[in-house]
Amino acid sequence: MDSIWFKLLGVVVSFIVAFTVGMTYMGLSRKITARVQNRKGPPFYQNFIDAMKLGSKTSAIHHGVMQHFGPAFLMVSSVMSLMIIPVLNNGMWFSNLNFHGDLIFLLYIMVFGPLGMALGAGQTGNPNSAIGVTRGLSQMVGFEIPWVMALVALMIQYHTTSIVDLMNIQVESGTWLIFSSPFAFIAAVLAMLGMFRYSPFDIVGAPTELASGPMSENGGKYLFTMMSSASVFAFAKLTLYVDLFLGGASNLIELLIKTFVIYMIPVLYGVVSPRYRTEQSIRYFWGWPTFFGLLAILYAVFF
Amino acid sequence: MINDKNSQKIVDFIQNWARKHSIWVLAYGTGCGAIEIPPTMTSRYDAERLGVRGAATPRQADVLLITGYLTTKTLKRVIRVYEQMQDPKYVIGFGSCTINGGMYYDSYNTIKVLDKYLPVDVYINGCMPRPEAVLSGFAKLQELIAQGKANGAQKYKDNLDWYRENQKKIIPNWVMPEYNW
Amino acid sequence: METIFLIFILFLGGAIVTWMAGKLGNIVQDILFLATILVPSYLFYTNVATGYAIDFNVGGIELSWGINAFGWLFSLIVLGLGAFAAFYAVSFMKGKERRGAFYLNFILSIMAMLGILMSQDLISFFIFWEIMTWSSYIMVVYNGNDVQRIGIKYFVFSAIGAYAMLMAIVLIKSMTGSFMIESLISSYTSFSYDMQILIPVLLLTGFGVKAAIMPLHVWAPGAYSNAPMAYTSIFSGSLSKMGIYGMVIVFTTMLSYVPEGVWFRGVVAWLGGFTAVFGTLWAIKQDDAKKLLAYSSVAQLGYIIVGVAIGTPLAMMAGLFLAVMHAIFKGTLFMVVGAIERQTGTSNFTEVTGLIRKMPWTFVAALMSIIALAGIPPLGGFVGKWMLYESLITSDHYLLVIVIFFSSTAAFLYCYKFLFGFFLGQEEEEWAHVKEAPALMVVPMVILAGLTFLLGTYPGIILKPIANGMQTLGYGMTQGQLWDTSIILNEWGNQVVLQPILYAILGIFVFFVIFVTIKGYKNTRYVTTKDISSSGEVPLAHENLTFSQGFFQPFLRAVEPAMRRQIDKYYTAIANGLESLFDFTRRIYTGNGQTYAIFVIVFVVILLIFKNSIFG
Repeated sequence: MDSIWFKLLGVVVSFIVAFTVGMTYMGLSRKITARVQNRKGPPFYQNFIDAMKLGSKTSAIHHGVMQHFGPAFLMVSSVMSLMIIPVLNNGMWFSNLNFHGDLIFLLYIMVFGPLGMALGAGQTGNPNSAIGVTRGLSQMVGFEIPWVMALVALMIQYHTTSIVDLMNIQVESGTWLIFSSPFAFIAAVLAMLGMFRYSPFDIVGAPTELASGPMSENGGKYLFTMMSSASVFAFAKLTLYVDLFLGGASNLIELLIKTFVIYMIPVLYGVVSPRYRTEQSIRYFWGWPTFFGLLAILYAVFF
Repeated sequence: MINDKNSQKIVDFIQNWARKHSIWVLAYGTGCGAIEIPPTMTSRYDAERLGVRGAATPRQADVLLITGYLTTKTLKRVIRVYEQMQDPKYVIGFGSCTINGGMYYDSYNTIKVLDKYLPVDVYINGCMPRPEAVLSGFAKLQELIAQGKANGAQKYKDNLDWYRENQKKIIPNWVMPEYNW
Repeated sequence: METIFLIFILFLGGAIVTWMAGKLGNIVQDILFLATILVPSYLFYTNVATGYAIDFNVGGIELSWGINAFGWLFSLIVLGLGAFAAFYAVSFMKGKERRGAFYLNFILSIMAMLGILMSQDLISFFIFWEIMTWSSYIMVVYNGNDVQRIGIKYFVFSAIGAYAMLMAIVLIKSMTGSFMIESLISSYTSFSYDMQILIPVLLLTGFGVKAAIMPLHVWAPGAYSNAPMAYTSIFSGSLSKMGIYGMVIVFTTMLSYVPEGVWFRGVVAWLGGFTAVFGTLWAIKQDDAKKLLAYSSVAQLGYIIVGVAIGTPLAMMAGLFLAVMHAIFKGTLFMVVGAIERQTGTSNFTEVTGLIRKMPWTFVAALMSIIALAGIPPLGGFVGKWMLYESLITSDHYLLVIVIFFSSTAAFLYCYKFLFGFFLGQEEEEWAHVKEAPALMVVPMVILAGLTFLLGTYPGIILKPIANGMQTLGYGMTQGQLWDTSIILNEWGNQVVLQPILYAILGIFVFFVIFVTIKGYKNTRYVTTKDISSSGEVPLAHENLTFSQGFFQPFLRAVEPAMRRQIDKYYTAIANGLESLFDFTRRIYTGNGQTYAIFVIVFVVILLIFKNSIFG
């Protein structure tokens, strides 16, 4: 059970699950956006077709070795997050590296990819890419504050920094953390809006403004890898929210329902929103989300 | 096994199916036709249900949509954009102006026949073509892709000298990187 | 002869001989310089046992030199980084003027730092401290740029620190009758309440100046950026750590005996936190790489101070680990800037772009140090950052951890700016001639960058000396509870196991690199950075589209209220006020006999007028 091959198999299986679910969710979000805009919209499997098409592009260009490696950096971040975050709470399946890292580690591995990708985007020499990167990094400073506040609140409330422990606490006590630390949930969800980069926080890859920003020089296989990475990453993040606040899931169906509910928050918030400017976005996160983060910490300290 | 002709056929079929249903359009708003693109994309006609979607940069795009007349000044940029796109790539000529000059047939500063400068896969006739016509143009392109007949890029590569000659006739100060495949 | 004396004699003699040897030819001078750094270092590590000390008497004053495990830890920073920087300096100084003076002060700095670590008494501590300050002052004004502003600032703040320390030493002598550090520590609890407060304040001021803690940091950006880069790498890497060294001793010995120590810890930790935040914000704003790294040094020292001031075992370990890491990566980064400045002639982001293909090894060194600086796993900085956060969370400093987290997230911004500004972006004709730096400069950088990787995977290598040093400071056993060779734990028992993580990261990375490389390998081609999708335009050779002006403008706009006030301005205001006061004094003391006569007459007249009311 502990052999290296079994572990590798676990990684591959979790990757495939995350890829499929993430792609489907993104397709569904396109469908939902279309319905909100009174359109018919593409089929929910449209993203798979897009990925397949990008994968079957026969030529590609790169501006140097960093751009060539950029998608690989992104993938490291996505797959590592997926391996650190427990997918199901019975610990038997998908327990890839769950016990080898904790929340702080997760926070840092989650920025590994975007930074590597940023280097790749920088090497293209396209000014739009660099502008997109600076926007993305600035926005990250914005949303990380409420997000970390929420996590710190959870950590001090339950005296653990491990995700597995936080899940077990919820299973044992029978209460989800969304009820026992509501302010942390609010802060985390508001931070999630920035993390998913849907409107009004889609300032990084704004297609009309920056020509899709950091990815403007990537096509074909590079874009394919980034797209897969994004879907895996989306699944990993949603699973993290479910693990932390919704008591985890004991089987995949439950996980799908819970993650979908969480995923609808940024999507539905996004379809009716215009776009912020960068400093507006940063200040947004330092306003009410940070206030709720502070409340969460106070709540954790005094209750 | 991989080189087997039948399996190659299956792979081609799947790839063409994917290409057909996922068309990322770089709408080069050259002329007045650009105004027909928003209605095609939005609620009334909703091209996204066919898998047609806007692309932000030529690196990501599959289809170059030339919407209307092309001035000699713009031609250079269009050629540049086309050459920056990744294979497989297609060109749609939009409106009469790209076919024979349309109402600008005697203008001194527009090109008349787009096909002399870029390999056009599908023309959409009309002045202006309504969104329905645009959609039917996309449908035609999908049909061609599925049959493997939308090979304008290959034609461009094979006849590069002829295209270059025509292009250089229009563009006097030719400073462009080589197109090397 | 005692090895300890021999080491210092070698340093001092070598320094002078190297200084003089300029006439014998450059190569002789270089070899002498390297030998003067390396031979005493070798002697130190082979012949001086930890815990050994010699007492001797100079002019009736008891002095004691020796090394304990804690000092030995810092000697790794001083001599290790010093050796790498020395090799780098040889190549860096090639063809420059006043090499003799540079070498002399370089060696004196190293000697002084080692002396500080080995001093067991306050007198030699102070003397070595002053040698360090003086040699670094000469290095700061070495280039002759802006001596008025930067040199004076560094000088004034060093003087403030030194006099605070001197005052403390005199007070200690008058109370304990001895200059020994140990007698100070043992009799500290018997001091009066005022002295228990005053002496740590004075000492912390002295150390705080070197550690560039807010509000004593204003000298640092100018001084770091003005010294030659080969020296700045030890200036920022090792010299500033001497302040940390002193602080640790004050915190772990004196302040842990008295209840007021908690307040000291809180105040200094928060000062460290603010230093980290504002250092980072100002670093983001800089367009000059030297200035950026200087502000970043200030910010990073803020983290270290936070860890040291909190002082739980994990926090102390985090602080010391970060100190070692900071020496490694900031030393490397300053070397990188030096290499780029040497090859291109400028260190401004808005001028230099796209060096990645011209200076690939420098880029590798810079990339790895930047990743370590940002604290991204699996490189070394992550271990320190992780321990710092966990220690702050487990020791109930909830707001401080947010402050620190803000600062280190914002640090990504200047990290990216550094890499992008120099190495990425469009390649320009102007820099087409640039070549990779000489091997003697590249090799130390790359080795140091490799060290960050090693320490990120096996932090036990450096955590062991840290744990030993902490045991001499009175901490308990930490191995197995808080760390092991490649595991780090917090006080609640949560862990990060670094080795499988490293393998996983490398495995995933290599897998996907292979994937993107072999997929359509034949049809993947390299294009120049001029071949970008910019609305169909072809940028001409002389047109540079790199985005380097107003980098992070939106972010700076968002944090603008926090940066409106600058502590530097208050100091300048005070300085101007003092200047006008002195000016006024000068008007009174004109030096003219007639004026003085007037003063006397006026005084007598006033006396006469008020005679009745005063004398009745």
